[in-house]
Amino acid sequence: DEEFNDLCFEFGLELDEVTSEKDIISKEKGQEKAKGASETVLYKIDVPANRYDLLCLEGLVRGLQVFKERINLPRYEKIIPAQGEGQRLIITEETAQVRPHAVAAVLRNITFTKERYDSFIDLQEKLHQNICRRRALVAIGTHDLDTISGPFTFTAKAPSEIKFKPLNQSKEYTASQIMDLYRTDSHLRHYLHLIENKPLYPVIYDSNGVVLSMPPIINGDHTKISVKTRNVFIECTGTDLTKAKIVLDIIVTMFSEYCEKPFSVEAAEVVCPNGKTHIYPELAYRKEKVKPDLINKKIGISETPSSLAKLLTRMCLTSHVTGNGNNLEIEIPPTRADIIHACDIVEDAAIAYGYNNIQMTVPKTYTIANQLPLNKLTELLRLDLAAAGFTEALTFALCSQEDIADKLGVDISATKAVRIANPKTAEFQVARTTLLPGLLKTIAANRKMPLPLKLFEISDIVVKDPNTDVGARNYRHFCAVYYNKSPGFEIIHGLLDRVMQLLQVPPDEENGYAIKATEGSAFFPGRCAEIFARGQSIGKLGVLHPDVITKFELTMPCSALEINIEPFV
Amino acid sequence: FSEMPTDNFVESSFWNFDALFQPQQHPARDQHDTFFLQDPAEAPELPAGYTAKVKKVHAQGGYGSQGYKYEWRLEEARKNLLRTHTTSASARLLYRLAWQEKFAPGKYFSIDRVFRNESLDATHLAEFHQVEGVVADRGLTLGHLMGILRQFFSKLGRAGWARAGAPGGSPGLPSPPSLPTGITQLRFKPAYNPYTEPSMEVFSYHEGEGGSWGIP
Repeated sequence: DEEFNDLCFEFGLELDEVTSEKDIISKEKGQEKAKGASETVLYKIDVPANRYDLLCLEGLVRGLQVFKERINLPRYEKIIPAQGEGQRLIITEETAQVRPHAVAAVLRNITFTKERYDSFIDLQEKLHQNICRRRALVAIGTHDLDTISGPFTFTAKAPSEIKFKPLNQSKEYTASQIMDLYRTDSHLRHYLHLIENKPLYPVIYDSNGVVLSMPPIINGDHTKISVKTRNVFIECTGTDLTKAKIVLDIIVTMFSEYCEKPFSVEAAEVVCPNGKTHIYPELAYRKEKVKPDLINKKIGISETPSSLAKLLTRMCLTSHVTGNGNNLEIEIPPTRADIIHACDIVEDAAIAYGYNNIQMTVPKTYTIANQLPLNKLTELLRLDLAAAGFTEALTFALCSQEDIADKLGVDISATKAVRIANPKTAEFQVARTTLLPGLLKTIAANRKMPLPLKLFEISDIVVKDPNTDVGARNYRHFCAVYYNKSPGFEIIHGLLDRVMQLLQVPPDEENGYAIKATEGSAFFPGRCAEIFARGQSIGKLGVLHPDVITKFELTMPCSALEINIEPFV
Repeated sequence: FSEMPTDNFVESSFWNFDALFQPQQHPARDQHDTFFLQDPAEAPELPAGYTAKVKKVHAQGGYGSQGYKYEWRLEEARKNLLRTHTTSASARLLYRLAWQEKFAPGKYFSIDRVFRNESLDATHLAEFHQVEGVVADRGLTLGHLMGILRQFFSKLGRAGWARAGAPGGSPGLPSPPSLPTGITQLRFKPAYNPYTEPSMEVFSYHEGEGGSWGIP
């Protein structure tokens, strides 16, 4: 187990869990139900999101064996049947509105066993979840070729005109009935919306009118494959042609291993509405040239070109040295759609070398560092505020609408708050426009602490601002609250004076700061003042209104101060 | 390392995802993982020339890349969200650096809040802080990255020990060999990130914690 864990770690996989079917059932349903279940050891392996070739056992084992140099990477071959003998899939123009693209291929004389069959179905599901984005981009259909006869037609029809027996059902349904049938199905109901409201639904027929499938929902029962199936017709339909091609390539490269002629795939012809024909699967091999020097320099190693070629070959990127020994030619197989740039090749070379074998060095980059002035000011103030006897709090930037509006006696439209479109709970509806609710909620959660409770926070608030490139901006606010049996307005006022003293802002209306009595809906009438710095309003202080206290589930008087500190940077 | 400005929680999908080569169909851009905004829903302004370049690389490739070869949509890039990583600030920084007359090496860092649309539990919050570092220079290697990470982690443990109050020791004295000296046992594992290549995850082992490998 440990050895396998280390191998996975080196290769870039994560051995998540070592378990067994019995363990899984035990955890989910209890030990009673688990009796009699298989105790064979199961490895749960986490595969990186861009490696579609490692999603099934066949691909994973193949990849690891090439990595350990036990086998050479097989060569995937496309066999193009003689004119008129191959399968054809004709796409009509109606599909353009709902699901325009399709690709197809045939696996000839394949031998399935129970494990291989399960793996085949499993891979389709994994691809559906991963690159197909839950069937929205691509949907895969696999059919027993011996039960149907081509040429096949991929078209789109009104729901009432489509009628067939879906997979594992006992009678025929129209497409609209199928939508209703699977509305409660835990697995399929998530895909209904992809075509439900379209005027035409996609459907694939054979030359006798037998329905192969209605992508992306369900295949027909007629063509279902079993362990005994010998010839498989694969069709991938979707809205993204590039991904459909990749998906098809992956399926055929993985499972052509079990064909009579291993690793050979029979090509099929797809005819587009405009008359153009394409042969699929593409199974393209791409050649890239990369200088060994580049690879060595990017990683920080110095390997000879031939040793680099060997490392890359171990990663399924067959390479050899060319030129005068100073260039590498790398062949990228159809299973490695994740190789998009030379840096992907560099990464694979590094993985084969072993990340933990690379010597760790520190760059000789000489720089003179600076702290961001706003953050520097914040850090300085924090220390002194703590010295003044206040305790720092760190609260959430997201809160409910009531927190910044109703509970403070303000209308939400006046707050210029940034609103979240998809909050999971009401606690995250808006981004805070004031630090006050956060501090009041903190007090409410700490009512049992000895009085007085003196809290402060210096952190960002968010407001809408049409002058920024995104339409909103942050302001660094400082907020302090004093919660005790008596409101302590003089204490909060004293704190403001202390902060101004630290900022070296004199108590002068023109050149410094001043406070003027005002009314504030969150404050007690007659106990509220606005703070001005060099003529600009920067915030308020005062005794909180009893309504506010109650709405935040507090019971004692409270005075508060909140200002914007950005003008002082 | 100089501090980067990160005082914008609201970010456009462009800077948070597209400029970082994260494809528009990527699951992270789903409703469940990202907080999208209702108001302001769209970013009014995106850098014109740069946006065109980003579109091209996604849709067709460029600069040696094959690209993702899908239809890149401007409306998708305009969608505002609460940033899911501080890397969007790094992207903005690198964009500004690119406009410098003459290239000068630099080292930058930031520590600030990010937002993920997750259900809260014992180890997950919807808001948390990230530490981000960028080194820009000629001739940098993967070995350099690993070296910096090791230096960073080795400082973490020692600071923790000093705060706890060393018996009879002051920071100026060399620490006795028996006391913990920070997290130095690191293992690097290949990983996948749309915007970094080569990518890695760091696993650390610390005796004081009862020893188990995990991403710190």
